[in-house]
Amino acid sequence: MTMSRQGVQPTEVIDRAAKLRFRWNGKRFSGFEGDTIASALAASGEQIFSRSMKYHRPRGILTADYWDPNLMVQVGDDPNVRAGHRLLESGMDVRSQNAWPSLNRDIKAANGLLGRFLTAGFYYKTFMRPQWLWPTYERVLATFAPGGKIDLDTPHAYHDKRYTHPDVVVAGAGPAGIEAALAASSAGASVMLVSHEHSVGGHLRYSSAAADQAALAELRTALDASDVEVLTDSTVTGRYEDNWLGIVQRNHPIAVERLIKARAKTLVAAPGLIERPYVFEGNDRPGVITSGAARRLVNLWGVKPGERAVVFSANAEGDAAVADLERVGTEIAAVIDGRTGGSISSTRGSSRAVDAVVADGASIGADLLVVAAGWTAPTSLLNMAGDRPVYDPAAARFFPSDPPSNVLATGGLAGDADLDGLRQHGAATGRLAAARAAAVRHRLQSRTARALPVDGDEPAPAPDERAPLGRDPHPELYRADTHGMVDMSEDISSKDLVAAAHEGYDSVELAKRYTTATMGPSQGKLETVNTVAAIAEARGETISQVGTTVWRPPYAPLTLGALAGRMFEPVRVSSIHPWHEANNVSIIQAGQWLRPDHYGDPAAEVRNVRRNVGLIDVTPLGKLDLRGPDVGKLLSLLYVNKWMKLGVGRVRYGMMCAEDGVVLDDGVTGRLGEDHYMMSTTSSGAGGVWEWVENWLQTERPDWQVHVTPVTTAYASINVAGPKSRELMSRVCEGVDLDAEAFPYMTVHQATVAGVAGCFMWRIGFTGELSFELHVPAGHGLHVWEALMDSGSDLGVAPFGLEGQRIMRLEKGHFIVGQDTDGLTLGPSTGLGSLIKLDKDDFAGKPELAWAADRSLPMVVAIQPDDPDVVPEEAAQIVRGDTNEILGRITSSRYSPTLNRSICLGQVEPDLAVGGTKLTVLLESGERIGATVIDHHAHFDPAGERLRG
Amino acid sequence: MAGLAGRLRKRPPKYSAAALAWKGLRGQSWPRVWRDCDLQRSYDAVVIGGGVHGLATAYYLARNHGMTNVAVLDKAYLGSGGSGRNTAIVRSNYLTPEGVAFYDRSVHLYEQMAVELNINVMFSQRGHLTLAHSDASLRTMHWRAEVNKLGGVNSSVIGPDEIKKECPSLDTSDHPRYPIHGALYHPPGGVVRHDAVVWGYARAADHMGVEMHQKTEVTDILCEGGDGPDGKGAGGRVTGVRTNRGDISSPIVINCTAGWASLISTMAGVRLPITTHPLQAAVTEPVKMFLPTVVVSGSLHVYVSQTDRGELVFGASVDPYANYSVRGSLEFTEGLAGHVLELMPGVSRMRILRQWSGLCDMTPDYSPVMGFTPVDGFLVDVGWGTYGFKAAPVSGEQMAEAAATGRTPKLIEAFALSRFDNGELVGEKGAASVGH
Amino acid sequence: MLLVLCPNCGPRNSTDLRYGGESHARPDPNTASPAEWRAYLYLRDNPAGWLRENWYCASGCRRWFSIERNTATNEFRDPPLPGDKRGGAA
Repeated sequence: MTMSRQGVQPTEVIDRAAKLRFRWNGKRFSGFEGDTIASALAASGEQIFSRSMKYHRPRGILTADYWDPNLMVQVGDDPNVRAGHRLLESGMDVRSQNAWPSLNRDIKAANGLLGRFLTAGFYYKTFMRPQWLWPTYERVLATFAPGGKIDLDTPHAYHDKRYTHPDVVVAGAGPAGIEAALAASSAGASVMLVSHEHSVGGHLRYSSAAADQAALAELRTALDASDVEVLTDSTVTGRYEDNWLGIVQRNHPIAVERLIKARAKTLVAAPGLIERPYVFEGNDRPGVITSGAARRLVNLWGVKPGERAVVFSANAEGDAAVADLERVGTEIAAVIDGRTGGSISSTRGSSRAVDAVVADGASIGADLLVVAAGWTAPTSLLNMAGDRPVYDPAAARFFPSDPPSNVLATGGLAGDADLDGLRQHGAATGRLAAARAAAVRHRLQSRTARALPVDGDEPAPAPDERAPLGRDPHPELYRADTHGMVDMSEDISSKDLVAAAHEGYDSVELAKRYTTATMGPSQGKLETVNTVAAIAEARGETISQVGTTVWRPPYAPLTLGALAGRMFEPVRVSSIHPWHEANNVSIIQAGQWLRPDHYGDPAAEVRNVRRNVGLIDVTPLGKLDLRGPDVGKLLSLLYVNKWMKLGVGRVRYGMMCAEDGVVLDDGVTGRLGEDHYMMSTTSSGAGGVWEWVENWLQTERPDWQVHVTPVTTAYASINVAGPKSRELMSRVCEGVDLDAEAFPYMTVHQATVAGVAGCFMWRIGFTGELSFELHVPAGHGLHVWEALMDSGSDLGVAPFGLEGQRIMRLEKGHFIVGQDTDGLTLGPSTGLGSLIKLDKDDFAGKPELAWAADRSLPMVVAIQPDDPDVVPEEAAQIVRGDTNEILGRITSSRYSPTLNRSICLGQVEPDLAVGGTKLTVLLESGERIGATVIDHHAHFDPAGERLRG
Repeated sequence: MAGLAGRLRKRPPKYSAAALAWKGLRGQSWPRVWRDCDLQRSYDAVVIGGGVHGLATAYYLARNHGMTNVAVLDKAYLGSGGSGRNTAIVRSNYLTPEGVAFYDRSVHLYEQMAVELNINVMFSQRGHLTLAHSDASLRTMHWRAEVNKLGGVNSSVIGPDEIKKECPSLDTSDHPRYPIHGALYHPPGGVVRHDAVVWGYARAADHMGVEMHQKTEVTDILCEGGDGPDGKGAGGRVTGVRTNRGDISSPIVINCTAGWASLISTMAGVRLPITTHPLQAAVTEPVKMFLPTVVVSGSLHVYVSQTDRGELVFGASVDPYANYSVRGSLEFTEGLAGHVLELMPGVSRMRILRQWSGLCDMTPDYSPVMGFTPVDGFLVDVGWGTYGFKAAPVSGEQMAEAAATGRTPKLIEAFALSRFDNGELVGEKGAASVGH
Repeated sequence: MLLVLCPNCGPRNSTDLRYGGESHARPDPNTASPAEWRAYLYLRDNPAGWLRENWYCASGCRRWFSIERNTATNEFRDPPLPGDKRGGAA
């Protein structure tokens, strides 16, 4: 085969005035604007583009389009580029992928000699012994991984996605697709026409017939004048529930690829047909091409595919290829007609010769073998819509069966006709699509309770009154009397498939899995039906009996970059965050929140709180504003303890359990007014508790009058803690008496703080110190924080972070839900069993908590290591003596700067949950240390005198 | 007659390099991996579901307990469900001592499998990294590591520098939205060629006389003496199954299905704590090897490994709503790609080639339901969520023991259906939200 | 992407909502036997067909509603009802 550029063709898409230079395996080449990488190389006489996966056989052009399995190349850092489709650009660095040391001399081609041993699935039958050698075998096998190379430094260029809600999306821009788009648009629908190719027109683009070119010009003019949005070099990659479509746009001016998500009211599938290779000995030799490839090479890029050709033709496309070849001066050595029983048995020859051997054994000298053996209907989008296409042996392809009403097929997928017939069917399909889209739009709108009223009744479902397309008879040509490649990407031959079927892998799915046929980059577009045919033959059944595989998304592959788009996972910060950043903060990520972990020395922060006063930004604390006459009942239902008698101005701690009795959340809730409460939740539980509350109110107690407003970020929250906190607060507060009697522990007051009205504060003490937790309208958070810092400088005020707070809460023995408890921790295990009031009529989890009272449960306890300098890791296991029997674990541990010793919380078996019990803790180092359970959870100030002060 | 002939067949040829060479030279073909048998009217045990669990159960019934008059029924083809749709990850670094002991046995059986079943299942123990992106998840990793070590499982927490050494493509800088603080590293973890496991068990079971019946759908379970209609339900006993190919009598019926576990159990009057959700997966085009280990991120709901063929195989968590449809969704691949690029920004030009999904039976405590039911002779091996494949060998071994002896083996005591009656759930929930 | 019909907001992408699982009644907590209560907590019909289930319109009106969906085909059957029985333990 010697391909070469010819004179100007009337249909060509190249601009011969615009020469583009590029590199191919390091050597300089050139092509024209409008060339694909493959057409430019072919025009320059290149005939080998890749090496096959297993046998490293040389491979050349097969289909000269996107689906060509032999034209996968590396372009710069972009692996597996389809050279049959990707347009040439100036300066491209193109390399072949699966060859070493070079494309023309590949060492692994020696595998070809071993072909009879490397039958499909051979690896399952060997390399079992000796077992210790398997990792080495595996490394060798892995070197056969095909494909390009990724460059780990490739930046993740963020690509925004596009969302669109067209009435009609037409997938495929051949004559039927264009007519469908035009007709739907004329009927008033908004229409998006998606062309997989670089320009619209489908097969008309590479037809030299004058009538075809006239029709193409007419269609393009009509499109230009219409409101149809046309996307080229774009593919509808998937049809998902309710016509949610993924569309990849490969020619976006900025993004490498862009993902468009379209909610189409109707989808028209008009992908055309894919030409199917024919299976015979030597069918993968460079120089054996499909008729479509020949026509594209000649008509689009002015490339003469060879000097002397044998054409095997079973249809009009093959006949047209003969005419195209003759026009550019290719000598036609023979035309073998597949419709009258002619066949090709094999190819022979070396290097550039492709001598065709016909059925009677005669060899015809040639350098090009063009094959037109039939079509595969790419029914992918229909499959994804739930349709199961049906095989018609008379037409030798699959046809749609019964797609849902919002998916319509037209063009070659639906049947055969002359150009006018296809156009008429396309137009009728477009009108039907528009009518059905109007009905869908009406239905969606009328079912939205609060949408604007919709005029008129819902249109009756538009019936399908299209005149069906015909089905041209076509011989069932799948395999000649010899065996050849079925899957070029995977190097799977028909012989492999027959052997697999005889071995028992005789359904399509089993054979596919066993041989890996159809699993490669073309995903069955070229090879599925030949695979089915080979199995049918082996089983002595028909293609209909064997059935086909289900085509899964995506129709065409798309990059992870396009799918990922921009990552919309924002972080949250409080309004005080700028202050933290300006003050040497060390940040910790807690869920979505960025929080101050410490400001350099958490131990010093703890000592300062215990001695003076400290401030911590606790804005992420969940806050729900509850209003209404039934809030008390709601609280009693959700918390395990009692709430009906909580007075106005009082605050109470509550624990929530789920219906299975497992601890869900905890926090304090204060009563701000007669019908007004503020509930706080854990920071991580804020969202979940809100939904939990709404669920109970809306589904179990819809008659209760409670209004819930999440106000977590409406307030900035500051905890002012330490013996000097009252003094500090008195300097900034107006309108509230901070005296211990007037504002005792576990009460709440509203106040003006640092001139900011509408604040509320409660006296609670997670740190175990006298403390005021201030909730300030969020916009004033930073101001109030700065006022507190300024006013307290003589008191030694200093910020403290999450780490300091965690140390102090551990000193006080307060558990953290989710850290000291887990997904199975029942309410009584926390040690707060006395909170659970089983005499309440009803509350979440009541039955389980009642039964739990009789069960022996693991318990949360405070633990002190015998060696005060050893801090066991959080997660260190508590074991029985020298054994490996697990009796519990350390859930929290820190070194206490207050007590100058290590302190812990842990969960232990019930019989160990008694003060004074000696435990063995297994450290991560493997060392076992002694530790003791202490009497109560608080390591420090168990009587709570400091926080009540 | 066909059944008798089948059972008396002569020993089929072993797989080996020498046999491969001999047959290659002589152009001989291999015999069928398993026979096509006529369906008998009666068996000593019927296994419903021809996936890895059902086939392993049948294999161990024959191998360990001499029960060879056993039929495995599948409504489609062998391995057509979750067995062929999973991402083939095998590991034993679970959170609970029960889980660790159970899966450790499974890893051990996987290590022996190629030799025992005489088929190369390509168990690639390439190491398994579970990434931690927060303090809280790092704490859980430590917890798992400690429990693993006590159970004799090789597992430890490593820091970003070591992670980078094991897996250079991961972004261990502090730039990402979810920086990598550390990882649970489990060297024996890896991937297996899942189809080979299916075929290996089927072939080995077939050699011992077990019959595999494809395209054989169970439409009802026949019971007597139960408290429900038709003698189904608690207190009764199973007498056989009804299929699209006729009734079969059997004193033992084992439900080894996934996706249809609830529907099959309902046929015996047994209600299960199961909701069925699809689990999706995707694969990219191949590129040369660059990812040496299996990488999992629980916070980002993604796991990824590179096959010997060079493809990246991804999975995530189950779909959010109950579903029996396996069509897949775009939001799955979008989310997956975003999370993968968060971990490995360098792969943004790799292309997704195919996505698929399988059905997972989720239980409230992320642990399976195994063993006896209130219907005598009706056993279940179900509720395998997203972790069934890795447990197949040990599940088969233990279920076979339960069925053959009538007693619950110690290794699966914790997974009994009765735990949902007495509220004694298994504690894997915390660790297993994405437990691959 | 499933389109879920919210009674207030109309058809919405399923990612805008939270799935609440099978609808089923909560037994009386004061009289339920352990078997009844744990059936409510854990056991599910899990049909492959029509299922009445709960959804929470998390990114829209924030209302729980229940609707019938076919779990085999993902069709919805009109109309959605507000606030049906809850979906069990959190």
